[in-house]
Amino acid sequence: VALWTISDTKIAELLTELHQLIKQTQEERSRSEHNLLNIQKTHERMQTENKTSPYYRTKLRGLYTTAKADAEAECSILRHALDKIAEIKSLLEERRIAAKMAGVYSDSDPPRKTMRRGVLMTLLQQSAMTLPLWIGKPGDSPPPLCGATPASSDYVAKQGDKVAARVKAVDGDEQWILAEVVSYSHSTNKYEVDDIDEEGKERHTLSRRRIIPLPQWKANPETDPEALFSKDQLVLALYPQTTCFYRALIHTPPHRPQDDYSVLFEDTSYADGYSPPLNVAQRYVVACKENKKK
Amino acid sequence: MSDPATQALQPRLLQAQSSGSAGSNTAATGSGSGSSDPARPGLSQQQRASQKKAQVRAFPRAKKLEKLGVFSACKASDTCKCNGWKNPNPPTATRMDLQQQAASLSEPCRSCGHALVHCLDLINMSTNDEINRLLGMVVDVENLFMSVHKEEDTDTKQVYFYLFKLLRKCILQMSQPIVEGSLGSPPFEKPNIEQGVLNFVQYKFSHLAPKERQTMFELSKMFLLCLNYWKLETPTQYRQRSQKDDGTAYKVDYTRWLCYCHVPQSNDSLPRYETTQVFGRSLLKSIFTVTRRQLLEKFRVEKDKLLPEKRTLILTHFPKFLSMLEEEIYGENSPIWEADFTMPASDGTQLGHQTVISPASVSGSPSLSKGMSSGSSLGSMDAGGAEPITGEKRKLPEALTLEDAKRIRVMGDIPMELVNEVMMTITDPAAMLGPETNLLTPNAARDETARLEERRGIIEFHVIGNSLSQKSNKKILMWLVGLQNVFSHQLPRMPKEYITRLVFDPKHKTLALIKDGRVIGGICFRMFPTQGFTEIVFCAVTSNEQVKGYGTHLMNHLKEYHIKHNILYFLTYADEYAIGYFKKQGFSKDIKVPKSRYLGYIKDYEGATLMECELNPRIPYTELSHIIKRQKEIIKKLIERKQSQIRKVYPGLTCFKEGVRQIPVESIPGIRETGWKPSNKEKGKEVKDPDLLYNMLKNLLAQIKPSMSHHQTHPDAWPFMEPVKKSEAPDYYEIIRFPIDLKTMTERLKNRYYVTKKLFIADLQRIITNCREYNPPDSEYCKCANTLEKFFYFKLKDGGLIDK
Repeated sequence: VALWTISDTKIAELLTELHQLIKQTQEERSRSEHNLLNIQKTHERMQTENKTSPYYRTKLRGLYTTAKADAEAECSILRHALDKIAEIKSLLEERRIAAKMAGVYSDSDPPRKTMRRGVLMTLLQQSAMTLPLWIGKPGDSPPPLCGATPASSDYVAKQGDKVAARVKAVDGDEQWILAEVVSYSHSTNKYEVDDIDEEGKERHTLSRRRIIPLPQWKANPETDPEALFSKDQLVLALYPQTTCFYRALIHTPPHRPQDDYSVLFEDTSYADGYSPPLNVAQRYVVACKENKKK
Repeated sequence: MSDPATQALQPRLLQAQSSGSAGSNTAATGSGSGSSDPARPGLSQQQRASQKKAQVRAFPRAKKLEKLGVFSACKASDTCKCNGWKNPNPPTATRMDLQQQAASLSEPCRSCGHALVHCLDLINMSTNDEINRLLGMVVDVENLFMSVHKEEDTDTKQVYFYLFKLLRKCILQMSQPIVEGSLGSPPFEKPNIEQGVLNFVQYKFSHLAPKERQTMFELSKMFLLCLNYWKLETPTQYRQRSQKDDGTAYKVDYTRWLCYCHVPQSNDSLPRYETTQVFGRSLLKSIFTVTRRQLLEKFRVEKDKLLPEKRTLILTHFPKFLSMLEEEIYGENSPIWEADFTMPASDGTQLGHQTVISPASVSGSPSLSKGMSSGSSLGSMDAGGAEPITGEKRKLPEALTLEDAKRIRVMGDIPMELVNEVMMTITDPAAMLGPETNLLTPNAARDETARLEERRGIIEFHVIGNSLSQKSNKKILMWLVGLQNVFSHQLPRMPKEYITRLVFDPKHKTLALIKDGRVIGGICFRMFPTQGFTEIVFCAVTSNEQVKGYGTHLMNHLKEYHIKHNILYFLTYADEYAIGYFKKQGFSKDIKVPKSRYLGYIKDYEGATLMECELNPRIPYTELSHIIKRQKEIIKKLIERKQSQIRKVYPGLTCFKEGVRQIPVESIPGIRETGWKPSNKEKGKEVKDPDLLYNMLKNLLAQIKPSMSHHQTHPDAWPFMEPVKKSEAPDYYEIIRFPIDLKTMTERLKNRYYVTKKLFIADLQRIITNCREYNPPDSEYCKCANTLEKFFYFKLKDGGLIDK
């Protein structure tokens, strides 16, 4: 409990800072707008006079330099605000993991025996929706675990990270499920993961190759389309309203940052072997290693 | 057959039967064709009869006597059995010629030889009025004779013949005709058709604007008028039409109708009753289908004869009116036929003080009704009665604040200000969360998401079906194909052809769940209105839209649809995967519908479990979880308030640690301060046996209000006997939110509403508080209330219902 109080104050502080940052953003924006208007007017005047005098050249150079500086300042404040959000999220995540370890469910609600499935599904959608969008500086290429970009070969998923885990079901069939990392043993190179569905009840110990970490950032289709799966690529995608990954073909990649993939699941109950297009968030689409059809 | 007149009749009767001449009933049943006002067939026949009577009554006395002598017993000697004077020179024309000279009183009878005068012994002494009455009967007898002669239908002919004999006997005995035998006497059923139809108007249309309500009222009047002059189909026709029913009951009703309603229309010797006043639902059930068709057909054919304003009324509103009425006639649980029907609006008040608060939004199923496009021709009518009073109810809390502030509380009531205050603090989650409201709290109700999505128009619900008689529109057909696809994907063990056959069968309907214009789920069902149940045939939601509460919301919509159509039982064969779902939707393996009602109707599936769900027509199913959630929140807030008022913290109990197993509740420190009261011992205890309680309350009420027994009315009870009339106190219902009176209490008692004495006492007390609220303290009414209150409490103590 003491720990939570500390994190509570910390979160409150961060929220205040975030609030300040947002205000500053607005100030920066107003300032740069003024400057941009100046640039526009100068251009108009140059056009009416129909000549580019050294005076205008100097003036424009100055204006553009200021505008660039303004934009960079605004950008840095926005990044700063995003960092704050990430910090708050990670604090909440820490708290959630701690609560889970302590066997307590949530801080506000009375303990529940089981979560209603519909609620779990909502939480999963929520988590997909709030996955941060990666915004790189010019020239940066998307990092591992952004969109379709795979993790580096030596990457180890952290505790609490969501992964696709290949488990053996009771009937012996192999299945990719949505799971949460509990621990990783460097000595055996094995993960311990919890099935997200039966939280805490079903724990699996799996080798590295049976684990695929889920993306930690959304890739922006407008700036980093190469970090997305492309049409007709074979992937593993979480079937909507379930906690299982199935093989699917990308039907259309997202067009905007908040869009989902549209995928065609392999499904023998349809004449052509694929389901009609269904939407799956970036968060729940990962590369499929085995390329041959089962 | 000792009656010569009837003997003479027999051969001709037989003749008429075989000749097949146009009889009065051969024209299509129920139409008085030729009369200018289709609502009043038969008028001309009536006119003819009265014309003839006037003619006969204007005869010279001698002629009158001759006419009567024909129907009067010969009194020449004790042994003469002759029942009427027979003219030895019978008129040549088959019809009795009215113009003929009167026979002389000494003229001998052709049958017994005695003079006519002997037949007139009694009549001669009668007054002119009596003679004229008898003459009227004579004309009626002659008309009946003609009717018997012309009638082709055996059943009708029999009745005419019976009436003919009856009237003859009455002339003979100079008595009043009384139809005897096993027919019983009117009224034959209660409530009568008229009452039922008026109840129907109240039940279905009282929420409409006054003008529209008036329209519906006029339609009901017109319908009743039509029924009163309508010619019913013969038992033979009835039997041919309804194969299942042998028509015995109908034949009885038909005979009654002929004797008491139809024949007396043109035959005023017989006492006349209006069909709609002496018959009830059972007759209407037998005739409605046919009558409706004929009525509409008749109006269609004769629409040019109708007055223009009547024409629109009839052509636009009447079909819908009749369809809605049909549902109430054949519906299993229609309230309009209950002897003590009261307006459903009073349900609201009944619930009012029990549950403290009315739900913030009791909506019907707006999308369901507006989009209703079932295949049957009735489908489009559904929208009419379905507009709920949502808006008004939402406004309730604000609108009532002022009056409530000054209201005297009835025990157990929570002050309205407090409730309003609490309501303010319970903010709508949708309002709090901003645009991304599909983020729900973990303890949200299962159907919360679906309800929100429906409200925002993300999903829609439509009852659709195929039709053979009319061209289904393309969208409906596309949706049906969509449903067939969803069902066959989600129910892989059902043959696709079988699914297709049922989804497209015009007798089956499907409640379709539509998202983005596409079908994502549905419930296919078949209604059996005559059997009082509906079979759930298929039920599925497409896999990628599952666990969103759609299944629950679908079933709730289906329940509300059925309540509207008065079917209150669902039956279904559930396979092993579906049992869990159906249990969550209130289905049980315990089947209350008798086997005979569903056997042979419902499709039997091997290896599946039959499950049933009984609907409660008072529950707004699609809003139920929301209402309960709000009620819980209110109660939680009220508890919190109470806690903050008490503020005293007691050390916990230690006695259990010391080994004490049980202590009396009242010995817990502070418990009384919370408002907890020890349950009253002995006499004050709640009466557990419902029948015992019922009788106790009944006796108690009887001492105040006499209708339950033969007791005298309490002298001060008169202002409270019946609901306050709006005409007498126009603003009464604006000021008094929970009106109550002794009549209503009697009805509630009969309906077994008073399941606890507390409810009963609360109503009694409310009579008093309402009176004091509305009337000045020194008024006559309040004086009555004061006396009555003392009397109530004396009686309550006396009856042991409260502590002495």
